[in-house]
Amino acid sequence: MRVTDLTLGLLTLLGGIAIYLSAINFHAIPGQDYGAGTMPRAIAFVTGLVGIFMITKAVIAGERLPGLQLAEWTRSGGAVLRMFAVLGLIVAYIVVSPLLGFLPTAFCVMLVAMLILGVRIPTAIIVSAITSVVIQQSFGKLLLVPLPRSDFLNFFW
Amino acid sequence: MSIVIEAANLVFQPYVLLVIFGAAAFGMFVGAIPGLTATMATALLVPVTFFMDPVPAIATIVTATAMAIFAGDIPGTLLRMPGTPASAAYVQDAYAMTRQGRPEAALGASLVFSSIGGIFGTLVLISASPVLAEIALKFSSFEYFWLVVLGLSCAVFISPGSPARGLIALFIGLFAATVGLDNPAAVPRYTFGSVEMMGGVQFIPAMIGLFAVSEVIRAFIKRASDVRPPSTSGKSIFRQQATNLVTYPVQALRGSVLGTAIGALPGAGADIAAWISYAISKKFSKTPEKFGKGHVEGLVEAGASNNGAMSGAWIPALVFGIPGDSITAIVIGVLYIKGINPGPMVFITQPEMIYAVFIVFLLANVIMLPLGWIAIKGARHVLSIPQKVLMPVILMFCMVGSFAINNSVFGIGLMLFFGVIGFLMEENDIPIAPAILGLVLGPMLEQNFVTSMIKSDGSFLAFFERPIAAGLGLFSIAIWTIPLVLWLLHRRSARQSLT
Repeated sequence: MRVTDLTLGLLTLLGGIAIYLSAINFHAIPGQDYGAGTMPRAIAFVTGLVGIFMITKAVIAGERLPGLQLAEWTRSGGAVLRMFAVLGLIVAYIVVSPLLGFLPTAFCVMLVAMLILGVRIPTAIIVSAITSVVIQQSFGKLLLVPLPRSDFLNFFW
Repeated sequence: MSIVIEAANLVFQPYVLLVIFGAAAFGMFVGAIPGLTATMATALLVPVTFFMDPVPAIATIVTATAMAIFAGDIPGTLLRMPGTPASAAYVQDAYAMTRQGRPEAALGASLVFSSIGGIFGTLVLISASPVLAEIALKFSSFEYFWLVVLGLSCAVFISPGSPARGLIALFIGLFAATVGLDNPAAVPRYTFGSVEMMGGVQFIPAMIGLFAVSEVIRAFIKRASDVRPPSTSGKSIFRQQATNLVTYPVQALRGSVLGTAIGALPGAGADIAAWISYAISKKFSKTPEKFGKGHVEGLVEAGASNNGAMSGAWIPALVFGIPGDSITAIVIGVLYIKGINPGPMVFITQPEMIYAVFIVFLLANVIMLPLGWIAIKGARHVLSIPQKVLMPVILMFCMVGSFAINNSVFGIGLMLFFGVIGFLMEENDIPIAPAILGLVLGPMLEQNFVTSMIKSDGSFLAFFERPIAAGLGLFSIAIWTIPLVLWLLHRRSARQSLT
């Protein structure tokens, strides 16, 4: 998923314009010319300049149309699925851990992740279980991080 | 002399030494876990220090901090998950060395030169702290603004690839730093009505996302095909560093001096120091083309600078009671609780206490060597675990580390967002490191810029009216303009030779 230099330049320029427009309504400190909008506007200005520089450089180099080059891995359906799977696992942890608690969620997330990567089932179960408990004990008990609890696994806390 | 002996008597007690060893092991443990920081280690130790006398209390914090900062390099070197923004400066080289089968050489360099930098900083702290603190206090918003600009410029120019891509990365970081309420007018920016977004983008989840999660995504795409790094070399860790010391003595000294000087500036700290040192190392190297590809030279200089800055941060803390960073801010609180009031008078009223603190500093940096050696020997076994087992475990550590920052799943969401951004950035050859520094230094840049503009009534000339500010400003401008002028001259001469 690689964009060409011209596309990157255009995206950068558009990003600069978007930041500038979004900063228009940020108020200054009362009685002053500067405030919340100063920094975003400065960032927008220099980002726009970088965008223009990249577009000019790409046009001089002979690029005429913006484009997107797909990486080698995007041609493999499995690779694309695995990429979305890892993102999905993180989202699943965010959603499920407050409901189920840390230990079962962490165990399931690691187990699924290992199975996706081709780890044998017994190894995946053992490693996921041990790691979940080690993390819970070190973070939850030793470092007092309030990891979400599971009612049915209260004896671990 | 009698004061030094009295101070040594306070430190060299079996109880104090035992506490130092315990704190060192704790600091090593916390620092080596991605997502946990030296500041967190310090904060966790505060309740423990309530039950201690002043010297062991300070010894606990000083030792744990020094150890945690070094230990932050371990996940950075082995897994490309830097523990601190400072170690992000040289993580590219350290990780490249691991992939070449030299993780011990990378970690050894980090350990030994961290210790050298820390000892140098302590010696400066002992001998010249009042003078340095006076200079540091002369820095106003103008000087800080240029110092931050200098640090950010270094991050752009040391990145592999074109400066334009480095700038894009920098602006991603700076833009992320504008999120939240922490701005001169205290106006909520880009919060979309979310209370958690008002707190801004914390750099730890962002750093874990940009560096570690992007790496995990890549491993899943390649199905973690068990690409193991070559077997490690059998050379002794310390023998390799003796060679480095003979080869790069100037770099070690330069890193220590610069780190201590920048660390002494309240609020500047190890982050800017490590980046500027790495950039200077590359600039003056005989082999700058090797940087970023597994070259130890930058590690030597930036590693020394990193820990030198940590000692330097204590100069304004002890001399004036002004914290140089979040760790010294906590320690000042502990000192007050223990009846030691940091400030000029403490050198007169309780000199034995201050000298005891100095001895503890030296001890912590010396003890780091054997304990670090044990940690390196233990940690390298991580590399023998198959990638397909390791990656899911790393993913879980990333999520828990991001959660631990605010005890909220919002941190994990941030981590995910920056993980995707980091993955897309690397697919497009946009370096990640400048984005981290932009995020860390963005608030400082904004605060000093807006303050300076208000003070000067909108006049840019004021940024050059004070001598130190003018020097830093001209230097920063030169960094940007000289390469451009040289490039234009080169093009012109190339055209002339063609015609």
